[in-house]
Amino acid sequence: MNERVEPAGAASAPETRRARLLERARALRQAYLQVFGIPDYAGYVAHMAVRHPGEKVLSQREFFACAIDRKYSMKGPRCC
Amino acid sequence: MNKTASVVLWPAVAIVGAISFGLLALNRGENVSAVWLVTAALSVYLIAYRFYSKFIAEKVLQLDDARVTPAHRHNDGMDYVPTNKVVLFGHHFAAIAGAGPLVGPVLAAQMGYLPGTLWILVGVVVAGAVQDFIVLFVSMRRDGRSLGEMIKIELGPIPGSLALVGVLAIMIIILAVLSLIVVKALTGSPWGLFTIAATIPIALLMGIYMRIIRPGHVGEASIFGVVLLLASIIFGRTVAEDPTWSVIFSLTGTQLAWALIIYGAIAASLPVWLMLAPRDYLSTFLKIGTIVALALGIYFVAPKLAMPQLTRFIDGSGPVFSGTLFPFLFITIACGSVSGFHALISSGTSPKMVEKESHTRLIGFGGMLAESFVAIMALTAACVLDPGVYFAMNAPAAVVGTTAENAAKVISSWGFVITPELITQTATDIGETTILARAGGAPTLAVGMAQILGQALGGKTMEAFWYHFAILFEALFILTTIDAGTRIGRFMIQDMLGHVYKPLGNTEFLPANVLATVLCVGLWGYFLYQGVVDPLGGINTLWQLFGVGNQMLAGIALLLCTTVLVKMKRERYVWVTLVPTAWLLITTLTAGLQKIFSSDPRVGFIALAERFSTAVAQGKVLAPAKSIEEMQRVAFNNYLDAGVCAVFVVLVLAMCVYALKISLQALKQAQPTAVETPYMAEPKGAGA
Repeated sequence: MNERVEPAGAASAPETRRARLLERARALRQAYLQVFGIPDYAGYVAHMAVRHPGEKVLSQREFFACAIDRKYSMKGPRCC
Repeated sequence: MNKTASVVLWPAVAIVGAISFGLLALNRGENVSAVWLVTAALSVYLIAYRFYSKFIAEKVLQLDDARVTPAHRHNDGMDYVPTNKVVLFGHHFAAIAGAGPLVGPVLAAQMGYLPGTLWILVGVVVAGAVQDFIVLFVSMRRDGRSLGEMIKIELGPIPGSLALVGVLAIMIIILAVLSLIVVKALTGSPWGLFTIAATIPIALLMGIYMRIIRPGHVGEASIFGVVLLLASIIFGRTVAEDPTWSVIFSLTGTQLAWALIIYGAIAASLPVWLMLAPRDYLSTFLKIGTIVALALGIYFVAPKLAMPQLTRFIDGSGPVFSGTLFPFLFITIACGSVSGFHALISSGTSPKMVEKESHTRLIGFGGMLAESFVAIMALTAACVLDPGVYFAMNAPAAVVGTTAENAAKVISSWGFVITPELITQTATDIGETTILARAGGAPTLAVGMAQILGQALGGKTMEAFWYHFAILFEALFILTTIDAGTRIGRFMIQDMLGHVYKPLGNTEFLPANVLATVLCVGLWGYFLYQGVVDPLGGINTLWQLFGVGNQMLAGIALLLCTTVLVKMKRERYVWVTLVPTAWLLITTLTAGLQKIFSSDPRVGFIALAERFSTAVAQGKVLAPAKSIEEMQRVAFNNYLDAGVCAVFVVLVLAMCVYALKISLQALKQAQPTAVETPYMAEPKGAGA
């Protein structure tokens, strides 16, 4: 489930049981967000930290607004 | 899995499947348990997935995990996100599963359970899952482009534009038919209407919570949303029993049609976060939850199939829809077997999230198998009902009349013995005043679900709750589709208008937005309104029009897949897409041409239109029309429906010609000519 952990995030490899459980809970939460298409702010922050360090990161409010608007303004029709 | 286990396991699955089919097909007299139907379906899915999808993945498409997917190439943390394959399977399934697989199988149940089951299973393996899988693959190899764009690139600009016209026409018809299902379910049902109306303030409240009070906390908002929804179902009974409120919430079909038209125009003009997004989340949660509950319910309760294997209505005289088994079964059950709409989803968000090429097998092929399973459950729910009840709900008033006594008499004369008491008792059990003229699948499925879930949880006293829960769940995602579909329709209309007069294509330009919204709502609203007032029209006409359109779109998507395979120089395997393409073309062209030209007025649009216009010329009024004006309306609408059907037929024939031309050119080339995003190898360690 943790295939989406970016290389830098993986550096803090969970050593204790507690950390492993937390990691597991985080992955489950992310899976739930992705299945239902809910914008994943934590994933976005992690992505920015790895791919675009130093760049401005949107606040949770900004990110959510932007992601929802994009999701529903896409041209693709939905299903029957 | 190790080899020995595999050698034992797969024959075992095959044997279980064969036994299930044997029980379903050879049983005489006694009613079979629905568990066998579901088990037979699951065995087919497992075998098809294990063997056929593997063959397509390895030999036909030659999926290459070393090749970078768009999710990695463009990883932006928002649209392009490499996603775990099981998670993406769930996401894709939630996106493709809609009202379609719930409606078609219920309507097709009038021919018995066997024809529908066989077409759902054969269709999904040979056509539906193949289409979804290959379109997903083709789009993934082209940076997640949409179906329209891919047709433009691979087949040329004219076929690209033709495909867009076809998609818009199908959108309009589906919005009309889905709205009509809601109208049929809610006419004169204060309980149902109250709960559906309550979803509007609930969604607005959630929207404000998610955007302003606790930004991004969809989970919290959804929890209180679901609690409020359940409360509104329980409170709905009080509304229905109250003498004043029950009158306020009892609307006629015409009033409901107008309400939906106005709702569509307003909803599509609100910001997406206010109503569309929260409602979409709510309906997705309910959808997944209900599907799981229904599957568990069927296994747990093991209801008996009350509908026969085959009914006499395979001869085309059925009351739910007219037309013989071939070709009309194959257009009535579209979603669940093969749905052109999925080609639009498979070229939407999913290809942008695929982590590795090999994952498309589970997501595309597996996702469609899961949707097919939903169709099988809908068919099961319709077939466990007493056939008399089924026909009472789905036959039009023109055939069975408007009283329980009359309906029982007519339906019993068909050989499905039923008493008027059972009809009224069923209505009382579900907390409604009548079950007559509730065509459209949703109410039938709701009664079936209420009986299954009622047996599992709560017994008879809970049936009314489960019925309204099922109606709410279907209406909720139909309303979401009306909102989102109107927005997409507006966007496409603006795109087309922009070619005529540039400022009209500007999506930031308010007057152009309003014009396109009104046009879009006006178009589907027209078909909806006619479906409500036309005594001979309605679901039986519109659903077939939708079926023809949807299957034609599937034909177009498969023509694209076929052309791409030829252009990739994989012509050896072209039968994988060519066989389903041919079958879809044969069934839909036959159905389309019969709908236009059949001399039987129950089937042919023109025959019916002529019958009515001739009578108008002689000043005669034909039942069930009541005035010359109604007669003229019937005639006009049938000419219009014939025209829409003709557009679909011409479109698909034109696509055939283009696909053939391009494929023949590609065959002469020595090198592959498909236009893919250039190959890029996965860098070591990327996307780990």
